[in-house]
Amino acid sequence: MAKPDDRLLAGVAVVTGAGSGLGRALAQNLAQRGVRVAAFGRRAEPLKQTACGQDGIIPIVCDISDPAALEQAFSETRRLLGPVTLLINNAAVYPRLDVFAESHESFMQTVAINLGGVFGASRHALDDMAQTGFGRILNVASFADIAPLPASSGYSVSKGATRILTRALLADLADRFPDIVISDWLPGMLDTDMGIPEGLKPEEAAKWGADLALWHDPLLTGSVFEMNHELLPPRSLKRRVKDMLLLQRPKPRSL
Amino acid sequence: MSDLLKENWDVIVIGTGIGGGTAGRRLAEAGLKVLFIEKGPAGFRSEQTRFDSDMFVPEARLARGFWPNQVQARINGEDQAFYPPIGAGLGGSSAFYAATLERPEVHDLEHSNARPHPTGGWPVRYAEFEPYLTKAEQLYHVNGTQNPLANYPSSLTIPPTMDPVDQIISDKLSAAGMHPYQLHSAVRNVEGCLNCFGTKCPKPCKMDGRSAGVEPALATGNAGLLDMADVTALCGDGSHITHIKLIRNAEEHTISAPVILLAAGAFGTPQLCLQSASEAFPNGVANSADRVGRGLMFHTNEMFAVWPGAKGTAQSKSIGMRDLMWRNEQRLGMVQSMGVDASYGEILHYLRLRLARSKLGRNRLVQDGARLPAAVAAKVLGRAKIFLGLMEDLSYDDNRILPTQDGEISFKYTMRSELHTRRKLFQREIKRAFKGQRMMFLLNAPELNFGHPCGTMRFGDDATTSVLRSDGRAHDLTNLYVADASFMPSSMGVNPSLTIAAQALRVADAIIEGGRHGET
Repeated sequence: MAKPDDRLLAGVAVVTGAGSGLGRALAQNLAQRGVRVAAFGRRAEPLKQTACGQDGIIPIVCDISDPAALEQAFSETRRLLGPVTLLINNAAVYPRLDVFAESHESFMQTVAINLGGVFGASRHALDDMAQTGFGRILNVASFADIAPLPASSGYSVSKGATRILTRALLADLADRFPDIVISDWLPGMLDTDMGIPEGLKPEEAAKWGADLALWHDPLLTGSVFEMNHELLPPRSLKRRVKDMLLLQRPKPRSL
Repeated sequence: MSDLLKENWDVIVIGTGIGGGTAGRRLAEAGLKVLFIEKGPAGFRSEQTRFDSDMFVPEARLARGFWPNQVQARINGEDQAFYPPIGAGLGGSSAFYAATLERPEVHDLEHSNARPHPTGGWPVRYAEFEPYLTKAEQLYHVNGTQNPLANYPSSLTIPPTMDPVDQIISDKLSAAGMHPYQLHSAVRNVEGCLNCFGTKCPKPCKMDGRSAGVEPALATGNAGLLDMADVTALCGDGSHITHIKLIRNAEEHTISAPVILLAAGAFGTPQLCLQSASEAFPNGVANSADRVGRGLMFHTNEMFAVWPGAKGTAQSKSIGMRDLMWRNEQRLGMVQSMGVDASYGEILHYLRLRLARSKLGRNRLVQDGARLPAAVAAKVLGRAKIFLGLMEDLSYDDNRILPTQDGEISFKYTMRSELHTRRKLFQREIKRAFKGQRMMFLLNAPELNFGHPCGTMRFGDDATTSVLRSDGRAHDLTNLYVADASFMPSSMGVNPSLTIAAQALRVADAIIEGGRHGET
C-alpha cells in the first residue's frame, strides 16, 4: 500500500507541464499535502492559475525542449526552494499530423519535448538526487507505442521511447543509487485537452499520481502502474508453468 | 582542474586506495601539499554500488569505479582474459572491500628456525613495524577481539556482539580445540550500517581509502584530487623523476613535484614503471635489476559452506581463526567468515561450477541434476554461511606482470606443485577444525584471489634482489616512492589491507623525514 514518504513530503517537487490538465492537478495535489512544488510550463498565464491560491506552488516558465531554458529553470528552483527530491515528468504534446503533414522538423520538435524534455529534466534532477542518494522520478507514460494510432507518429514514437528511457536510466543508476526510485505511470484516458471528453477528471487521476509519486520504495523501481494498480510484465511460458506448479502467482500492487 | 595542474605540490600520489589514501593523509596532515591522481572517477559519496564482475561495458565499469578493461593473463600456460576484481575510482579496490583488517604475525615478517620465512624475512623487523600497525588500526577504527594465539598486543576497539549464528559456529570451533575470535573489521557500525561487504558504503562507516584516506586529507586543506586522469609515463634522468605525463579528457598534460608516490596497486604500479621505459630508463623505471613486476603473488581462496543448523537474520562476517597458519612445517593461512549467506541458488551455482570443471559435469543433464542436492541442502540444512580459508602464496620470479604499451594489465602465473600440496593439507586441516559441523568445500581447483595481488615491487636491503628500499623509496631513484601491495616480499597468511596501510604510514614518514633533511 502506498504510504507517502516523509522525506518527499518535506522536499521539493518539480512537475512539468503544470499549466493545464493533469500537470496542474498533480502540482496542486502535491502542494495541498505540504510539498513545495516548482510548476514548470511554457506559458505564464496558465501557470499563474495553477499557483493561484496555492501557497506551496512556484510557477516557473520554461520550454523543456530548450536545454538552456531547462537548466535555468532548475537553478531557479534550487535558488527558491532547494534541491529537487521529486520529479514528475508530465509535459507532453500530441500534435495529430498525418505523415504527409508531418515534416522532419515538426517530428523532431515533438521528440524534443516528449523525450528530450524528460531526459533533460531527469538529468538536472539527478544532479540533486545523487548528492544524497535519495529521490523519486515518476514518468507519466502512455500506451501510444503499443499500437500507434494514425496521425500520431511523433507522439507514439516519443512516448514509447520515454518508457525505454526509464529502463535505460535504471541500467545506469539502479545498482548505484537504489534509493532513487524511478517508475512509469499510465494515468488512463482523461478529460483533458489531450484526452477525451468522457475521460476521467484530471483531479481524480492526480490523486493516484500523487500517491504514487510520494511512495518511495526501492521495490517500485522499474514498475509500471496504470491508474491505481500495477501492470506486471508479461511472464514467459516457463515462468507461468513454474508459477502454476508452485501454486504461486505474482501479485500486482495497488495504491 | 587546470588549477590543480598549475599548483605547486610537494608530493604527487598516484592512486587513492589503501596505500595512496593512507600515505597521502599522513603527508597532508603533516603540512605537505599533496595532489592525489586517480584513474577513475571521484564518484558520489551516496553511491551504494555493488562490485559487479559481470558488468562488461568499460565506460560503465569506470563510472562505477571498477577497473574498466579486461586483464590478459596466462595462467598455468593457458591464455585468459577477464575483468579483475580491482577498483579504479576514489578509494581504489578498498571502496568495495569487506574491510577485514587483520594483523600479520611475527613469522609473516621474520625468519626463525622454527618457521623459516620464504624470503629469509622482510627488511623490517616486526617490532619496528608494530607501531605503524597500531597507528593504522587506530586510523581505520578497527574493532574485533584479540586473536588468542597472538603473541603481540593490538589496538582494537570493542566489536558489536557476535551474531548468534556465528556464535554457534564459533562455540563448535572452540569445542574442537580451535581458537576463534571476532574478526578484525574496519566497519564502524554507525546507526543504519548497511554491512557494505562488496559495496560502496554511503555513510561515514566503512573505513577505506576514501573515508580513512583521501577525505581527511582533503579536509586539511593541503590536498587536491584530480580524478579521471590516466598517468601514462614517469619521466626523468635516470636517477630522478622530473615530471609525469597524464591524459585527462583526451588531452595530455605534464605535471611535476619533488616527490612522486606510486600507489596504483600491485598490478598498476609495476605496469606504469615498465610502460615508462625510455632512453633514461631503458629497462623501465626503477628496473635496473630487472625486478619490477616479478614475484607476483595472490592468495588462494578455499571457500566452503558451513550449515550452523540455526536460522539467522543478518549477514554476518565475524569469525576469524589463526590455528591453521602453520601445519606440518607448511605455511597455510587464516580462516574467516566471508559475510555471505548461501541459499539454494548460491549452492546450486557452486555445485555447477564444480561440475563444470569435470568432464561428466559439463553434460546438461548432470548440470540440471545438481538442482536436487542443492534443493535438499537448502531444505534440510537451511541457509549456509560461507567461509574462506585464505592461503599464503609463495613468490616466483617468473610469476610476473608483463609490460604493455597501452596501460592495460597483463600477467603470467603458474601454480607450482607445492601450492597443490599445501592446499590439500589446508583442506584436511579445515575439515578437522570444523569437525562436527556440516560443511562442504565449494571449489574443486585452487582459486586465485585476484583481488589480493602483491609482491611486484618488493622491498629489501639488496638492490639486486629488490626494487624498493625498506622505507619504500626505489633503490634506483632519489624521489620515487611506492606505497601499495606491491612492496610485499611475501603474501602472508592474512588479509593484506592493514599491512599496506601500515607500510604507507612508514613511507609517508620517510618522505616527511627526507623533506626535513632537504634530501630529495
